[in-house]
Amino acid sequence: METLLMQPSVPPSATLSQEFRRGVLAMLPVLLGALPFALLLGAAAAKKGLSPLEVGLLCGLNFAGSSEFVAVQLWQWPAPVLLIAAMTLLVNSRHALMGAALAPHLRLWRPSAVWAGLSCMADEIWALALAEAAGRPGRGLSLGFYAGLAVALRLTWICGTVIGASLGNAIGDPVEWGFDMAFTAIFLVLLRGLWRGWRASLPWLVSLLAAVAVHLLVPGAWYVPAGALAGLIAAALLPLPV
Amino acid sequence: MPDSHTLLAIAAMALVTYATRLAGYVALRDRTPSPRLAAVLQAVPGCVLLAVIAPAFATGQLADLLALGITLLAASRAPMLPTVLIGVAAAGLLRHLL
Repeated sequence: METLLMQPSVPPSATLSQEFRRGVLAMLPVLLGALPFALLLGAAAAKKGLSPLEVGLLCGLNFAGSSEFVAVQLWQWPAPVLLIAAMTLLVNSRHALMGAALAPHLRLWRPSAVWAGLSCMADEIWALALAEAAGRPGRGLSLGFYAGLAVALRLTWICGTVIGASLGNAIGDPVEWGFDMAFTAIFLVLLRGLWRGWRASLPWLVSLLAAVAVHLLVPGAWYVPAGALAGLIAAALLPLPV
Repeated sequence: MPDSHTLLAIAAMALVTYATRLAGYVALRDRTPSPRLAAVLQAVPGCVLLAVIAPAFATGQLADLLALGITLLAASRAPMLPTVLIGVAAAGLLRHLL
């Protein structure tokens, strides 16, 4: 058992740069799926009249893909600031749950690393970080590994969207080529790692079914918070395991 | 030069997103959750991941359903990169063939 071999007082043997490289490598399959969507998002933003500089600022500072697709969809001139901010809050409200789940793994980080790290907490980074932290209980999340994940995706996202905005209409539809399935595949593999048996996964099923139902019935991005909340209510109502 | 409404919208988005990323961490960093809250938090990752990919399950297209089935099968046994390649190839091919 790995947990029996662990000695929290001994510093981890891997250097920061080794950990960073490991994070970049773990991110590679995600980059494959993300790049076509970054190009598409940039091209869609250019069609709405945003310049490559504005696209780079938007995607670099916000760094939360689904809310950026929604914002570009809603974009008008002048920009409807309140509407865009409200939709961003709705689409990204799941981050509050994600941050809560990540909190116990950040206890050993200094505050500046926590504030910088959380600014990069996109879905894929969060999920890979959580899987990593679960594999080394008691030692918390590796800062170098997380930095590798974050830098690799954030740079790819900024470059991809800016290039997409510069190329404009030359971009095809990544869905036609199946690239949307990359995220489904990544999340399913991560779910396999989180699997703790059928009973523990009952809330997952509730979340999935509720999200599917809301997606079919209600337009917009409500299905994400609705599904996640339904799953968590199920988790709260289930009897505690003994 | 970007106009002021555009810059304002970008800044508002970035601030709102950052706030959502801090909120859960700030609420829970100094707390030891009760067993009930711990059980709920344990369910968070799976619930969020499945809610995000729910549209893939809500499709009525045969090609998409078959590709999802193949991806599920791959995800249950293969490592990350092969699963992604199999999923993308299956979705891309089936959408062109069917």
